[in-house]
Order: sequence, then C-alpha cells, then structure tokens
Amino acid sequence: MVKRLSDMPEVEAAHLRRIECPTYDDTPALAGKPLSERRVVLISTAGLHRRGDRPFRPGDGSYRVIPADTAANALVMSHISVNFDRTGFQQDMNVVFPIDRLRELVAEGSVGAMASVHYSFMGAFPPAAAEPHAQHLAGLLKADQVDAALLVPV
Amino acid sequence: MGALGHFLERQGIPTTGISLVREHTEIVRPPRALWVTFELGRPLGIPDDPPFQRRVVKAALDLLERTDSPLIADFPEHVQEPADFSGWACPINLAPSVVDSLTGEIDRLATWYDRAVARQGRTTVGVSGLDMPSAGALVTKALEGVLPSAQRLKEAIDDLRAYYLEAASAFPDAGSAVTRKKWFWEETKLAAAMLALQPKLAASDDQQHKILGNLTLIPATERHRLG
Repeated sequence: MVKRLSDMPEVEAAHLRRIECPTYDDTPALAGKPLSERRVVLISTAGLHRRGDRPFRPGDGSYRVIPADTAANALVMSHISVNFDRTGFQQDMNVVFPIDRLRELVAEGSVGAMASVHYSFMGAFPPAAAEPHAQHLAGLLKADQVDAALLVPV
Repeated sequence: MGALGHFLERQGIPTTGISLVREHTEIVRPPRALWVTFELGRPLGIPDDPPFQRRVVKAALDLLERTDSPLIADFPEHVQEPADFSGWACPINLAPSVVDSLTGEIDRLATWYDRAVARQGRTTVGVSGLDMPSAGALVTKALEGVLPSAQRLKEAIDDLRAYYLEAASAFPDAGSAVTRKKWFWEETKLAAAMLALQPKLAASDDQQHKILGNLTLIPATERHRLG
C-alpha cells in the first residue's frame, strides 16, 4: 500500500518529486444540485482514445472524445509516460475509466444522469497547453447539460 | 490533473476528482480531491471489482456537495500489494538466445495473445495501426541503425508491450501482474531490444528521439537495467 511518496520505492518517488506542479492563488468552488439530480461527465487524463483516433504526443494538451456507447474493445491508451501500471487497464478498463460504474450509479438513482460524451486528456501536459482546450470543453459540457465532472488521473 | 479542476470550475463546471499522489494535489489545490493509496495506473483500485470501484466513484462524487475548497478527503479503503510469487517462471521458454529473433518471439506469443483476447473480449493493442510483426520489424530496423520518428517508434513499442503482457496473462500459470512485468523485463527479447535502443535514442541529434530515450521508453523502475 502506498501512502506517501516517502513510502514508495525511492526511484519512483524521485521521479514523482521531479514533476513540476502548477500553483494557483485561489481555488474556485461552485455549489450545485444534489448528486441525484446532476448530469455527470467523466474526464480522464490517462491518454485514452478510440482505436484509430489520433494518439497523444509529448506536450499535447488537447483532448479526445469518448462517446458514452464506446465499446470496451475500442478504447486504447497512448499516454507518453511509462511510469505507471497498464496491466490493470488491460484487464479491466473500468479501473482507469469507470464508465460502467457511473452507468450503474445512474441506474440505481444515486447520480442523476450521465453525459452523452466523455473525454480524455493525456496528463503529462504543460498546464498552459491544456487550458485553452479545457476552456473550450467547458462550453461543450454546458451545451450537453453537464453540471459535474469527475476527473480521473492515472 | 488538478489543473483541469481549476480550469473547468472557473468556467462554471463543478468538479471533483481522484488523487493518486497526495503531495502533488497539496500543491495544485484543486477544488475537490479524493485521495486514494492505489498503485499508479489503477485510480479505481482493483480491476474486475465493480463494488469496490463503485465505492471509489461514489466517494469522489459525494465531495461535490462541499464548497470548502480546496479540499482533500481520504478514501478509507486500501489495496494490498499483489503477492510477489518469486518462484513463478514463464511456462514457455521465451528467453532470448543467439538463434532467436524478436520476430520469432512475437510470432510465438500470438497464440497466447489470441487466447487472452478471446477471454477478455477486448485488447488494448492498436495505437500504432501496425500489426505486431510489422511493429517488431520497425524495432529491429531501429536497432540496426535506421531510427524511425520517435512518435512512430513509441507507438509501435507501446503496442508490442501491451501485446506481450496481454499474451502473458493467458499463460497456463499466469502469475500476477508483478511477476509478468518482471518476466517482460528479464526474459524477453523485446525488453532487451528496448534497453539496447535507449543509448541510440539518447545520442540522436533529434530532440524527440532524446525525449523517448531519456524519458518515455524505459520506466524509472527499470532504468537500473541500462548498461
């Protein structure tokens, strides 16, 4: 079990310590409806996309579109990093992209609805490269009546 | 990851998320984060365990009702490290030999890969658009000195690595993900080829080759294998 960087093997911890994180002066926090009335979108940063879609490249801050009805066998990963496990994703896409779990929570009524389209970025982006894409995406999400995003790293 | 929370929330979309590296999340301070202690690459914790994954998703979504941001909540459940069966050995000998070739190794794994795909009903191979013999040929040519573009080589190698590990999951005694990765790095011709390619890429004049060689070819945990 990994708790903190200090609990990890040193070589992995050293790699993670070297990653530069952006900082922000303040953090926005929007109030909203109860979860059972929200329409939720899944946004991964695992570098996922449909087979045949453009693979991610170093420095790529753009996103790929994953329609809600995308078959499990159509989803591949082209994240540039080699420093995380991929065998979990090979075994079960939901361990990275929990779309079936979200669907179940909608079915049982805990979550209001699911977006018609979901998205993936490739997490190794420089923040400045992703920001314009994220801003554009926010407009599309509003058009899809989305009022909550679940961000899933890898 | 946390940066997206800032970008989207500022544009009017409430966000919540999972955090795998608490130290990073403490710096980025996204609106809402559920910190989990799982292995990198497994943000929902356990493959093929829907109830566990559902609890993680629900715990992250439940944070949406809070506005005391930035906030980090701890997920109360943990995953035990997979057992390391150090006695596990690949049941078919794939160790490279002088008469063996990468092509032969790729060909030999095909039947196991097919078995894995049949069992899983899916594959994660297919980023490069190449079939596996062609991807192998690209790696062989690169070893011989004809370096393709870094992107093309990276996609081919990522596909091959997924092909190998998916194939190994269908071996009669498949071991754990940990032992299969150990097998990959210690016993396969492909891993040997990747380790041999690293210095060639790092020494290239092409900046993208350098990035591949120095950062995105060999995992940090395996770099000790480089000469």
